[in-house]
Amino acid sequence: MGKATVIPFGPQHPVLPEPLHLDLVVEDEKVIEAIPQIGFVHRGLEKLVETRDYNQFIYVAERICGICAFGHSMGYAETVERLMGVEIPTRAEYLRVIWHELSRIHSHILWMGLAADAFGFESLFMHCWRLRERVLDIFEKTTGGRVIFSVVKVGGVVRDIDKLQFNEIKRVLEGIKHDYNQLCKAFLKDTSVKNRTVGVGYISHEDALDLSMVGPFARASSVNNDSRCLGNGGYKFLSDFQPIMDGQGDCYARVKVRALEVLQSIDIIEEMIAKIPEGDIAVPVKGSPADGAESSNVVEQPRGECYYYARGNGSKYLERMRMRTPTSQNLGGMTKVLAGCDLADVNMIVLTIDPCISCTER
Amino acid sequence: MGSFKLGAMTLGGLFKKPETIQYPAQTKPMPAGLKGHVVNDVETCILCSICAKRCPTSAIEVDKKGRTWAINRFRCVQCGSCVRECPKQCLTMDPHYASPATQMEPSVFDVPEHEKVQAEV
Amino acid sequence: MTVQTEYLITAIDGIPEMSKKRKAEGWRFVQLMAVNTEEGIDLIYSFMKDGVLQNNKIEHVMKTDVIPSITDDFFAAFVFENEVHDLFGVDIRGIAIDFGGNFYALAQSEPMTIISPAQKAAREKARAAAIAKAERAKKAAAANAAYVMDHPGAKPARKADDGLIKPSTEGFEEKLKGMDPEKVARVRAAMAAKARKAAVANAEFVEGKKSVEEDEKAAKEAALEAKLKDMDPEKAAKVRAAMAAKAAKEAAAAEGNDAKEGE
Repeated sequence: MGKATVIPFGPQHPVLPEPLHLDLVVEDEKVIEAIPQIGFVHRGLEKLVETRDYNQFIYVAERICGICAFGHSMGYAETVERLMGVEIPTRAEYLRVIWHELSRIHSHILWMGLAADAFGFESLFMHCWRLRERVLDIFEKTTGGRVIFSVVKVGGVVRDIDKLQFNEIKRVLEGIKHDYNQLCKAFLKDTSVKNRTVGVGYISHEDALDLSMVGPFARASSVNNDSRCLGNGGYKFLSDFQPIMDGQGDCYARVKVRALEVLQSIDIIEEMIAKIPEGDIAVPVKGSPADGAESSNVVEQPRGECYYYARGNGSKYLERMRMRTPTSQNLGGMTKVLAGCDLADVNMIVLTIDPCISCTER
Repeated sequence: MGSFKLGAMTLGGLFKKPETIQYPAQTKPMPAGLKGHVVNDVETCILCSICAKRCPTSAIEVDKKGRTWAINRFRCVQCGSCVRECPKQCLTMDPHYASPATQMEPSVFDVPEHEKVQAEV
Repeated sequence: MTVQTEYLITAIDGIPEMSKKRKAEGWRFVQLMAVNTEEGIDLIYSFMKDGVLQNNKIEHVMKTDVIPSITDDFFAAFVFENEVHDLFGVDIRGIAIDFGGNFYALAQSEPMTIISPAQKAAREKARAAAIAKAERAKKAAAANAAYVMDHPGAKPARKADDGLIKPSTEGFEEKLKGMDPEKVARVRAAMAAKARKAAVANAEFVEGKKSVEEDEKAAKEAALEAKLKDMDPEKAAKVRAAMAAKAAKEAAAAEGNDAKEGE
């Protein structure tokens, strides 16, 4: 038994994509306790809702996170639509789902690249990001932006996708699917990947429930809290949706859940494109939210469930807008899962949780 | 055997067209709807300043007396609100990105006086 | 099917009991947030189970109140409790990992409790609008009552309590009997236009919320009716026809606008 030492880890660290600080209490090579700290990039975006009206704030909401930008704008718009009782056209709901699932694909492939980079598989990282680039090209053509799209507005969407573009999306997705299946083989069958992930950072089903975990992190411990199942927005039009779950609860299971979710998202997009109805893409929204009216909503983002709350004050400015991002919910699980692991596995475990600290602090 | 699962893909890359381009020499074509920068057609602009009101970043400044329309490209986030709200459709989104500049100054456009169109009844 | 939301109100003393009960019933902790209001800070604890999102509100928490932590039941809440402490200055005791006010690196303490000038102006505007609306409603009600008293046979123009405009036809049929056929036709056309307009407005209108414009319109209508009853019948009919024509024109303009926005 060695002496307990505290090793500070982060906020600047080569393996961390985000400014997260961990105080690791280490005995020999074992981490016995980990205390996370965030708070280096608090931007006060929730406070900004007081100086931007509810139509303008959508552009602030998008900038909470660069990866789930679309999810945030969609979640914000859905919440304000609930607050004001606006029904948006069906075509707009379909379009939102298509873009949201595309952003899930790009988020997951980006994350898989980062994970490959973390366990030192450089060529896998390159291939992942090569595929992600094609999704970004779809965004560029259909929305006009690569990261921040600004296509959602309260009451619908601002751009339509025409038949030609749908065919193009289908063609690109076919190409991605073909290449992606080979990548999946590398992720799920390659020994060098398995050596780093199998059995590392195990969290049981009971702990996952106890710690209220969300997203792929929870689904890898077979906790189903995928809010797409609730049928919010356009997800109610899906014929059959079964969340991807795995009972192993280790890093490998988390990689697997994300890897299979990409294929599922491709299927969802193909179904949506086949079923999308003709019609308007937006309804005019007039007036302002009533004083004291409140609404809350959850949206399944690539990293997990995101909670939104809005309260009006009778003017065009909202009284309060709250976004609870998935990472803040998973920090509790992260401290639990880090206790007892090897020091060398810390980066792998932190990455498989896919923390987004800038989202968490807003 | 669990290793070299990526071998086929990596080797295949040797015989495929590269996915990247030689950037300064080659450039990607800009897709039609790309959000590059906002352009104002000063001939039709009536200086109503709706664009300035709708702008979430207050990047647009309209001076009715001085007949100028100014946009600060360093504040603009290319959300396209102004383009959508313009009553005269004189604002458009150009698919080319604004070029870098050495000074953070707003681009100012003079709006010429145009003859009043006969007021419609 | 969408997510169901519930709003419950709890007292500060009820927090430990609430969290224990939720834990025992198998709810999942979703989040804790605070809202800065004029009467103090509202805390909202959210839980979720089987697609029901339950928001437990603790209203008007003052700076002097001590809030017990729920991290014993829901460990994941430590992030939010530290956040609420740092951003709103709520005194939460017994957090599992307590950063003691150093969770967020902030330039000033409790930034979310500062009321910005914009928010203050918005609040004052909303309050003024609410008062004006109440007064208008009172005036309109008074005018309506006066009108009803003078015309015992006439029906009230519309219900004041639901915000929707309901095109009523019964009262008008009686009025139309006395007029000449040409005028009747015109008035009928105007009625149809009005009904159409009302339908458009109803479609946009949200249940439970009153639009200021409509109240204004009601007040205007009531005032007009009051004015008209003093005039001689021929003139009154003319004015009515003119008003109806104006309404029809407005309706056409509104439709035109909608069509334009739909593009």
